[in-house]
Amino acid sequence: MIEISNISKNYGELKALNNLSLNIQENTIFGLLGVNGAGKSTLLSILNGLIDIDSGYVKVFGLDLAHHKKEIREISSIIPQHLAFYENLSVGENIEFFSKIQKSNKKNITHAIEVNKLQDLLKQKASTLSGGQKRRLNIAIGLLNNPKIIYFDEPTVGLDPKSRNDILDSIKTYKDLGISVVYTSHYMNEIEKICDEVAIISKGQLIKQDLLENLLSNKQSQKIQIELTNNDEIIETNKDEFISTIQKLNQDNINIKQIKYGTTDLEKYFLEVT
Amino acid sequence: MIKKEFLLVLRDKHALIALFVMPAIFILIMSISLRDQFTQDNLHFDITITNLDSSRLSRNFIKDLKKNTTFSILKNKQEADLELIIPKKYFKQKNAELKLNINIIGTMKSDLIEIFKAKITKSFIKVKLENINKEIKDREINIAYEDLFSVNYLKSKTIPNSTQQSVPSWIVFGMFFIIIPMSTIYINEKKQNTLVRLTSMNISLLSMTISKSIPYLIINQIQVWIMIAVGMFIVPLFDAPALAINGSIFAIIVLSTAISISAIGLSNLIAISAKTGEQATTIGGISNILLGAIGGVMIPKFIMPESMQTLANISPMSWGLDGFLKIFINSAQISDIATESLVLVFFGIFTLIISMLILQRRIRKGL
Repeated sequence: MIEISNISKNYGELKALNNLSLNIQENTIFGLLGVNGAGKSTLLSILNGLIDIDSGYVKVFGLDLAHHKKEIREISSIIPQHLAFYENLSVGENIEFFSKIQKSNKKNITHAIEVNKLQDLLKQKASTLSGGQKRRLNIAIGLLNNPKIIYFDEPTVGLDPKSRNDILDSIKTYKDLGISVVYTSHYMNEIEKICDEVAIISKGQLIKQDLLENLLSNKQSQKIQIELTNNDEIIETNKDEFISTIQKLNQDNINIKQIKYGTTDLEKYFLEVT
Repeated sequence: MIKKEFLLVLRDKHALIALFVMPAIFILIMSISLRDQFTQDNLHFDITITNLDSSRLSRNFIKDLKKNTTFSILKNKQEADLELIIPKKYFKQKNAELKLNINIIGTMKSDLIEIFKAKITKSFIKVKLENINKEIKDREINIAYEDLFSVNYLKSKTIPNSTQQSVPSWIVFGMFFIIIPMSTIYINEKKQNTLVRLTSMNISLLSMTISKSIPYLIINQIQVWIMIAVGMFIVPLFDAPALAINGSIFAIIVLSTAISISAIGLSNLIAISAKTGEQATTIGGISNILLGAIGGVMIPKFIMPESMQTLANISPMSWGLDGFLKIFINSAQISDIATESLVLVFFGIFTLIISMLILQRRIRKGL
């Protein structure tokens, strides 16, 4: 669906993206992981044609971004990290404005409002909404053009756990509607929760791209965790020392509760590879 | 997009005050304050007269001065502004060796002294002419002072008054104050990423600029007619002269649209060049005051030195002001304000193009 080939983007001396290549499959929720300044937001801006690349190429549904920016924007939508709507307008006025400029049909408008639970807030001034409600409005605006791909740029920053979960749950439903999602976040557990595939980028370069289950599976890591019945203590070991560790535990009559092979959470893996 | 821009401006109370209330108050204050600067009707001098000439002409001269409401003839010299001394045998002299003496008791501006001299001269000539008429009565020649001059206003129908001078100045000044809401909304759009979002929705810079400009064109028109209404109906309530429009209404519409285009262009340029709301408001405010001062809004151009009058041409406010003065005072029609309108439209389009180029560059760089 999205083919990113050897793209580079420099801001003066700073290399925001350096020969980055990625392939994103259709109908997936694709996570983009990286520390601040890794190039995630730059990549999303490039994918939506907001920023031009210095070299390489990007193809979206076979369309070259350099020549089909308008067409690509029509089938995609970016949900910016910062709330991109008018605080002095009501929720309904914001929806009306953004739907008119995109010539959205009534079905799309209703869907965007309903999926983001904004029905009862339409008359409320956007500035008076709670943090979670503002984020939902920000997302609803991105759905108005009935996109095939949505780029989420850290959409849950600063939200309480409940609002965050609400948003994540709604994003998971997009896949069933045939919408592909590219999702960036600081929160690894969010990526773990919703993404099918993950790319880790650092300093503008791709470090790793794979299915989430592969990243977390035993094939991807040498670490083995042994959880003991005794006070839920966890011992970490590796493949080479695994047998000797088990033998020693047996000799000491220590019972084993469970053994986990591979890194059990993305954060640990992320810290390992970056 | 036009509706959105309207809603945002109308919900900005500070902007509405700057756009409508401030110029209306300026018009009121300046029209009342300058009321006496544009007419001599309210001029008044308290004078004492020391007449050392015992002739009939000198008595007639004083009688004429007493009839003139410009003068109050006082007995107490200490309470007077001026003392007029008529020397002995003044009206009988043949070689003008004697002069009327004017003693200034307090302080007085030189232009007021000149006006006083002109008023005295008028009475002097009247008395002298009456005497000549009497002496040459048999030859059937009779020349009165009133017959000496005929004053015709070739372009205007009326004498300009303080309101006609003030209203154009503050209309033009007020119109350029759209910089405040324009920059506030623009900076907010930049800060809140709505500009990026609009770009990502395939909204072109041209349509963004046009849809942002149309509401301000309408707001400027509303401003113009409110200010004109203030000049015509509110200012007279405060004993200042009412605004009289001598020129064409269509000329006002054409000129105010041209001023609006230039104000929108400049406002766009400042709003887009500024990085923060504070920066835009400060630069906008200062530019407005400077352009107003250079352009003759604060100080009328006709009292500026020639070099400053030439410099005034760099200010779009100067062109707008000249156009309005032509319409209000010189009964101008559309063709008479064509040059001013074209210069203003050119200025507006030029600044709009520059601001669009800057915005395009910034969007490509990720704002």
